[in-house]
Amino acid sequence: MSETVTGMTSGRVVDRTDALAEVWGEDAGAAAIETRSLRRVFKDSIEAVSDIDLTVGMGEVFGFLGPNGAGKTTTVRMLCTLLPPTAGRAAVLGLDVIDDAAAVRRRIGVALQEIGLDPVQTGRELLELQCGLYGITGRRARARSDQLLELVGLVDAADRRTKTYSGGMKRRLDLASALVHSPDVLFLDEPTTGLDPASRLTIWEEVRRINAEGATIFLTTQYLEEADKLCDRVAIIDGGRIVAEGTPARLKAQMGHDVVSVSLDGADLAATEAALAGLPGLERVVAESEALALYLEDGARSIAEIVRRLEGERIRAGAISVARPSLDDVFLQATGRRLEGDEPPAGNEEVTR
Amino acid sequence: MTEVALLGRRAVREVVRYPEATIPTLFIPLFFLVVNIGQVSRTFPSSTPFLKGQGYVAFQLPVSLMFAVATATTGLALVTEIDVGYFDKLLVAPIRRSSIIFGRLSADLVRGVAASALVLAVGIALGARVQSGVLGAVVIVLLSAAFGVAYAGFGILVALRTRNVQATQSSFLLFFPLLFLTPNFVPFNRLSPLMETLARINPVSYVIVGLRSLVIDGWSAGKIGVCIGVIAGMGLILTVLSLRAIATYDR
Repeated sequence: MSETVTGMTSGRVVDRTDALAEVWGEDAGAAAIETRSLRRVFKDSIEAVSDIDLTVGMGEVFGFLGPNGAGKTTTVRMLCTLLPPTAGRAAVLGLDVIDDAAAVRRRIGVALQEIGLDPVQTGRELLELQCGLYGITGRRARARSDQLLELVGLVDAADRRTKTYSGGMKRRLDLASALVHSPDVLFLDEPTTGLDPASRLTIWEEVRRINAEGATIFLTTQYLEEADKLCDRVAIIDGGRIVAEGTPARLKAQMGHDVVSVSLDGADLAATEAALAGLPGLERVVAESEALALYLEDGARSIAEIVRRLEGERIRAGAISVARPSLDDVFLQATGRRLEGDEPPAGNEEVTR
Repeated sequence: MTEVALLGRRAVREVVRYPEATIPTLFIPLFFLVVNIGQVSRTFPSSTPFLKGQGYVAFQLPVSLMFAVATATTGLALVTEIDVGYFDKLLVAPIRRSSIIFGRLSADLVRGVAASALVLAVGIALGARVQSGVLGAVVIVLLSAAFGVAYAGFGILVALRTRNVQATQSSFLLFFPLLFLTPNFVPFNRLSPLMETLARINPVSYVIVGLRSLVIDGWSAGKIGVCIGVIAGMGLILTVLSLRAIATYDR
């Protein structure tokens, strides 16, 4: 899905609003989200977000990928007007998050990582109240709530208090509550973290549907697969800085190589590395805890040579596998480590000695 | 205004659905009312001058009313809301932040009216006679409820400033100096000199004196006026501080 939409999002036409141009200079535009040197330093002088520049086009599904503590949530909170930036600027739909905070709030929907549900109320009451906060009252609020409950499959649980809901149900209700006013931009902070695979798929479908109806979606995730499958463009954030950005396809293409993973299985790391040094087409070697990742032009063709060299040095390594570059590899190259807690990339061809 | 009504309705719903949060706060005033009267009714028979012919229950009733409405319930509800993240949901909605405070306070008014009506009814059942009559009884209920609204500001402030459940829970400790350094058991002139000085400085004393005058004296414009003034002043200061705390929350 991501690859077909990719072409539409880059090179879009940008029109400007004059008022904003004064504040933003030449950068002002009709981007859904735009940040310039956005920074947030907390009281304990921890710099959570360092000079981030982002542009998210209208209608995009933009993925903000990074490990825990990378600065994802802090960025989302700044974009949602919940947290003022220490420096730099951010605009949503051309509206400054500080100067036009009220206008921003009317047009965004937010589902934060910490599911903001009120345990006292039933699902239906919560949605009706949420409608009311966005100026939708009376019969319209009831109709909208019914519609959303239907949409997220919570009709049967609608009149139960939310504290009785499962994790997946809470997420869905939270998502529904972010949609009452049909926002133009939807912020989802780790919408699937902690969910079982089935619930995750439900959320993905919902995100695609919302996006198809025209909403821009900014989602943070720790899951590479999620970013790959769901997002038109992805930015990788690590230690408060953006270390890579682009469509998943382009990011992977930039890697320009296959990854051959040699499982050490108790073999000596240094010896293995030495044996494989100078392989034809070898661009880079990354040592991991139990394996060596070799970045090669043509992985499949190199296997014979790798096996020959290891045998020549009498190194008994374990499985050797070849993978096309995945976002995981992009992440590894950008940050020097793998994203913890993510599933291993699927679809490896495995060759065992 | 709609926002305040919506959030107020939700806060009232919370009070109704969590009776376990409200019932203990009613236990203390009723317990004090019954036990104190039982203990001192011989020491202070109805011939005691400051009782003006009534039983001690009439003297103690206003104190119990204040116990019933001065709670940290609202602060706790707010800090819980911050804790579970629902508060962020409200902050990100296009509403005035003040609505969140006023919604909470409107529920305090409702709870205050219900709680003080109950305590007043128990007091009357135990023999207290409201000298200012039915209208006086209504004024008593409204003034205690208003005091409850003003007092709720303490909990709200602590909740917003600390965002910590334990700290907010501890804010009920304020209750002791504010409600016990008062002429709660005997009039000012029967207190020890130090206690009398402290009680006279404590503005809450004048709320008790005002409510008590409605029970024992009838209509005493001066005492009621000071009582209203103290409640209004306290309410104003704490509400302004709470509004400032929520306006600068995360700013």
